[in-house]
Amino acid sequence: MSEHRRQILQMLAEGKISADEAERLISAMEQPAASSAPDVSAPSAVRPRPKYLRVLVDSEDDGGHDGPTKVNVRVPMQLLRAGVRLAGLIPAPALSRANSAMQEQGIPIDLSQIKPENLEELVEHLNDLTVDVDQKDANTKVKVRVFCE
Amino acid sequence: MIPFVAVVSLRNQESRTFRLWIPLFLIWLVLLPLVILLSPFIFLACLICRVNPFRGVGVMWQILTALTDTELELEHRSAGMSFHIF
Repeated sequence: MSEHRRQILQMLAEGKISADEAERLISAMEQPAASSAPDVSAPSAVRPRPKYLRVLVDSEDDGGHDGPTKVNVRVPMQLLRAGVRLAGLIPAPALSRANSAMQEQGIPIDLSQIKPENLEELVEHLNDLTVDVDQKDANTKVKVRVFCE
Repeated sequence: MIPFVAVVSLRNQESRTFRLWIPLFLIWLVLLPLVILLSPFIFLACLICRVNPFRGVGVMWQILTALTDTELELEHRSAGMSFHIF
């Protein structure tokens, strides 16, 4: 996701623009992008690899009990890579027990399939990852952003 | 590069901030002879757990070096806390 698109969605999430305005802005933004699409494949257009995974949580408590809470976490991608390599050192019996425990919890992930080569692929695609969660309850508003930078 | 300094910052309800600089390089200097002394036991433990000890040491080193630039910040009305590794 491009920075412009992210900004538009951010403005929409903050209520600065309406959904129609956001749609118009995105379509206007895509118009020149479509015409210059071949340039994207050029080596100069290759974006740099993300160095950090950032998680931002912004919680506003309208009830006034706890007050707003902000969380800002920045994790180097190298740490994620090293973590996966560490998972590769887990002995097979322990790995199978961990897999079965995760299956029982409804998480269908086979940890033995996570390898450093796969992680490199994942990290490549993380460049485009942006997760925006906007939750509004009666008393609280929570915004969560997960992205790479 | 391995992290050299960690900074822990704490803020209380009266907005008083307490900042603590932790010289990690001194901790590494203290730990290094200890790790060398314990290396036979670490090697043995790796063999018992059927883990390649050289690979294990390599991964631990990677984790150590990757800790640089890790950042954690928590802000609340009554208190705040931040943790940076440089």
